[in-house]
Amino acid sequence: MNVDLFPLVLYSVIVIVLIVALTAVSHLLGQKRKDHATDEVYESGMLSVGSAQLKISVPFYLTAILFIIFDLEAVFLFAWAISIRETGWLGYAEVFIFIAILIAGLVYLWRAGALEWRSQRQRDDRLHTIGKSGVVNIDKKTGKAHKTEQPKQGGAH
Amino acid sequence: MSTDVLIDLLQIIMLTLTTVVVMLVAGFKREHGLVNVLTTAGLAASLLVFVFVDPVLPLQATELLYFDEYSLFFSALITLGALSVSILAYPYFESHNSHNEEFYILLMTATLGAVVLACSTHFVSFFIGMEMLGVSLYAMIAYPVHAEKSAKFPLEAALKYLIMSGLTSGLMLFGIALIYALTGTMFFNEISPAIEAQDLASSPVIIAAWLMIISAVAFKLSLVPFHIWTPDVYEGAPVPVTAYLATVSKAAMLAVTLRLLLISDAFQYEALMLVLTVMAAASMLLGNLLALLQSNVKRLMAYSSIAHLGYLLIVIIAAASIPGILSVESMGFYVAAYFIMSLGGFAVISAISNSGKELDMISDYQGLFWRNPWLASVMITVLFSLAGIPLTAGFMGKFYVFTNGLQGSLWFLLTMLIIGSAIGLYYYLRIIYAILQQPGKISKQDPAMQAIPFGTHAVLGSMTAIIIYLGVYPMPMINILQSLAAAF
Repeated sequence: MNVDLFPLVLYSVIVIVLIVALTAVSHLLGQKRKDHATDEVYESGMLSVGSAQLKISVPFYLTAILFIIFDLEAVFLFAWAISIRETGWLGYAEVFIFIAILIAGLVYLWRAGALEWRSQRQRDDRLHTIGKSGVVNIDKKTGKAHKTEQPKQGGAH
Repeated sequence: MSTDVLIDLLQIIMLTLTTVVVMLVAGFKREHGLVNVLTTAGLAASLLVFVFVDPVLPLQATELLYFDEYSLFFSALITLGALSVSILAYPYFESHNSHNEEFYILLMTATLGAVVLACSTHFVSFFIGMEMLGVSLYAMIAYPVHAEKSAKFPLEAALKYLIMSGLTSGLMLFGIALIYALTGTMFFNEISPAIEAQDLASSPVIIAAWLMIISAVAFKLSLVPFHIWTPDVYEGAPVPVTAYLATVSKAAMLAVTLRLLLISDAFQYEALMLVLTVMAAASMLLGNLLALLQSNVKRLMAYSSIAHLGYLLIVIIAAASIPGILSVESMGFYVAAYFIMSLGGFAVISAISNSGKELDMISDYQGLFWRNPWLASVMITVLFSLAGIPLTAGFMGKFYVFTNGLQGSLWFLLTMLIIGSAIGLYYYLRIIYAILQQPGKISKQDPAMQAIPFGTHAVLGSMTAIIIYLGVYPMPMINILQSLAAAF
């Protein structure tokens, strides 16, 4: 099959020339203004707020890793489940120890605050603005949520 | 599973139990002292198991673990090392870090991995042990990263170790996979018959597999040319972890490597022996030469450990032509001696350092003898022993290496050993010279003049005592080693 590629090449060249020409001409002839609104989004969009470089919360990673750990547990349990008759009580004891150690690990993670979505600092801040009883402490002068005391540094898990 | 197996497994069960208990306690009650005492007690209890429980030997406990006197000897050594590190870690971390409890969980899992390595006669337990030890060590090296003025570069050191270690784990797995593909077995002792049965000994694949495994092992033992990570990691890690890295991690790896090479008959490959010889010579020479340039004691110890492992490699190479009994005996003695010397040396560094400030430059040791004679004497004993001066454990160890080299007629390596030891003497004596010099100005805040906790004293004292005891009266140790070597 012999396809004549010449029209396609010509088309591509014209496209490139056109784009370069348009950009060059508008660059050479166009007004150059630097106003307040020059760099803003102007069409069918909201003005952007904040930076595009978001900080992704670490708990996403944590959730993923916890999922993997317990997924793996299921894999091991599956291997045990299909050989339950062959392994007998010994296998049962071994699986029991395995799960017990995993649970101990989970308890540790729980206590260490690994399952909390908020960071320690966010938890402290929230506690200070909302308070233990759920009352929001608003400072009368500033009208903002008011901090009764400095958040504790670290510790206190 | 019989009661005998459970009794043999008791040491591993003790260690696991301690790990879980320490983890739960760390979760519920964050108290450094409590967690430290629990860890130390757990390690001491598993050490006592060795003394009081008379295990049934030798015994295959499950497919993965094999208990004989050889594995018990190295497990006991490893547990002793972990115990000392745990004792040293308390004063080191207490003053500056806030979250110290997890360190002990990592210490326990690393120790568990090392013990598994010492009991391994199967590639799966080899790999599991290596990874348990490695993964715990990444985190242990980076542990003081939250401290404001911590050990200088813990994160950098941990990353270097992580990346290099990951690479070698890959190599190791590739090697294991190739051997398994050819022989269909992962037991060390079944490899050689399978290779003979299929007449594979000259196959390039099997040699490639062995080279991969040996490179991975050489990385963990920091032999030239796989040594590049060692000085940086030793310097960057907090002192107790450096001590752990220099002793437990090396001893466990050596234990499993010697066993692997001896019982899988890897000495028949000339290519492999050539590689080992080159690595041994390069390690002895480069390790000692580069140590001359160091002004940091931790870096110096790193290069000195490279050189010492080069000496040890002579024993492994000589095992090709001399009876296995002598090489196992020599290796056991040298590893034990090196283990004790390193622990003693790092205990001194640890005694005058904490996680806030580490005194690890040679200049920090100037006049130590006048500021704290006790620490200085320990350090001098350790350095004499490392240099191989008579009446210390290091001399007996070097004597063993020499005997092995003579019996195996390894003249080239023996020449290197002599040159290396001569160079070594210079930089060890340089530190001793600094210690004995007049101190400049003595301030009251001098860390070497502060009270040293009892535990550190105990570690310092016992290590010095063992160094001198092994150097003066090594017979009991030799008897133990001969009885355990009889199995090979």
